[in-house]
Amino acid sequence: MQVKFELVTYDEKLDKFELDENIYILELDDEQAKTYELLKDADLHLYNWFKEADFFLNWIKEEVYPNSIGKKFAICDIDDISYRRFYFFKVTSGDIHYKYFQKLFKIIEETDWQDREDVGREILAKLLVRRKELVMELKNDTKA
Amino acid sequence: MDNKYIKDMLSQMDKELASKGMSRRDAMKLAGLSSAGFLMGGTNAQAAEEEVITKHETNDRILIIGGGLSGMSTARRLTTKLNNPDITIIEPNEFSSNYQPGQTLVGGGIWDIDEILYKRDDYLPEGVKLIKEKAIAFTPQKNYVTTDKGTKVEYDYMIVAAGLQMDFERIKGITDAGRVYSSGDNSNLLKVLGDDVCSIFTAEGAERTWEIMQKKIEEAKKASPEKPVRWIFTHPNTPIKCGGAPKKIMNLANARLKEAGVRDNVEMLFCTNGGAMFGIPEYHDAVLGQFKREGFKWNYRHNLIEVHKDRKIAVFDAKWQEKGPWDPIMHEYEVVPKHEKVEIAYDFLHISPPQMAPRELRESDVGSAAGWIPVNKETLQHFQYKNIYAIGDVAQVPMGKTGGSVRKQYKVLVDNIVAQIQGKKLPAKYAGYTVCPLITTIGTVMLAEFDWSVKPTPLFPLDPTVERWMWWLMKIHLLKPMTQIGMLQTGKA
Repeated sequence: MQVKFELVTYDEKLDKFELDENIYILELDDEQAKTYELLKDADLHLYNWFKEADFFLNWIKEEVYPNSIGKKFAICDIDDISYRRFYFFKVTSGDIHYKYFQKLFKIIEETDWQDREDVGREILAKLLVRRKELVMELKNDTKA
Repeated sequence: MDNKYIKDMLSQMDKELASKGMSRRDAMKLAGLSSAGFLMGGTNAQAAEEEVITKHETNDRILIIGGGLSGMSTARRLTTKLNNPDITIIEPNEFSSNYQPGQTLVGGGIWDIDEILYKRDDYLPEGVKLIKEKAIAFTPQKNYVTTDKGTKVEYDYMIVAAGLQMDFERIKGITDAGRVYSSGDNSNLLKVLGDDVCSIFTAEGAERTWEIMQKKIEEAKKASPEKPVRWIFTHPNTPIKCGGAPKKIMNLANARLKEAGVRDNVEMLFCTNGGAMFGIPEYHDAVLGQFKREGFKWNYRHNLIEVHKDRKIAVFDAKWQEKGPWDPIMHEYEVVPKHEKVEIAYDFLHISPPQMAPRELRESDVGSAAGWIPVNKETLQHFQYKNIYAIGDVAQVPMGKTGGSVRKQYKVLVDNIVAQIQGKKLPAKYAGYTVCPLITTIGTVMLAEFDWSVKPTPLFPLDPTVERWMWWLMKIHLLKPMTQIGMLQTGKA
């Protein structure tokens, strides 16, 4: 089974993500494909499975970013599943992202008072921490 | 207040129930509670498992900032959990313990102001010290506060229950009204607001609201459905005490206009900064249905920023969104916020003012840039200073600015502080429960109960979106004695 990946690279000094315009294809074996099918609707669980998987990190190190020890990156899209809101959310982003993050970060509306701008700023503040948890770094040993 | 008061209240309730052919027992059964159980903690089941209290020893000094419902009830409950505790309350206002939920009823002419004025000293628990000064400087690094009279008060644990201030200063045209508390002398506020503008968010303001409303009803008699007068009710861009209050007073005004036979002569307009009637979709739908039924008009995303009293014009910052440029990375069009000033003429203006933590707290090391005391919303413990807690209006807790929230919070806080004194892990968590008895007219209430699940969470086995006469009776007869007896006098409810 083939899975399509899009990635972002992370500049720690600038705390900035940049989209890697390439699309990378990873071939999953049967067992990996079974796990993928089980997790593909599980949002961050799917992300974390790849993040922790040696086969994925080895593939990145050997085929996607060879000779790039120290490079920091994160997964942007896996097939049609997108995580790009974590890196590129803005106050002017669409309502669907607001709803997603309000649920994820448990941002509760008082009654009807909260401005979109206030909620957007709160999301951005929480994202500063959360998105760093998604970042992977290529290291000499197998684990990124 | 003694048991005679509650007997009188219940007897009054019995009369009303009898007029509908129902006994109190049947009515309570219908509501899923007993009156005694309700006063002491909620449902029958909760009352039945009334706790066996073991008192703990401590020499620690507990300081409470604020003598409102939160501060006084917490002090009371602490005295039931600790042996000879060293508790001090700092509160300068003689009427800090007023029954604030009753202000809507005063504003709608249901109650007199005397029925909501509680004297702070009547609720001071035995053995608790009171400093009738105002805490103005906070030094959490060294565990002391300083009052306006220069008194330095040291503590081992501090509970911030200072309430909030109504910030009329933010509204141009009435900035001289300043920042006010809900109780105490608010004569300057009333003077600045004048004869056509009012607010139930202070006790005196509630009384004044009823005076102005009666005068305006007389004026409405001279109008006509073809040439109606306009009554505007606002909701600000900050969290407020009881998010339902702006609608409650609008509904009571509507009832009074109907009573006077002049409802068709008045355009009733609700202007809210928010984009919905309620944050909980089920209650939003129910309230919207009620607005449509009553012929109310409404403007979302309208925040009151200025009042021209001479011309009777209210100025709103009106906001909307437009489709922005294409975002090639997110694969969507951006959403661009727009806003403009909108002037709307009024004949009667009810203001729900912006609200904030008192400045001396907000700007202290105990406060935060967000304006409220930053505490863990579940344990109520300060994020930075672990020997400080906050409760009620002043705490940075979503959906927490009602007496119904305090009723849940003060038990959590006391359990946690007692555990911390004993060197134990904090055992209790506040789940965000709050309740808003949303008065929909004289005689009916929608009992909006919810928590952080953002879903209706009714304690009673009845559809919470239905307006009921039962909840009206509860609002006007039972909730007040519940706070007086259940919380302030016994610390148990």
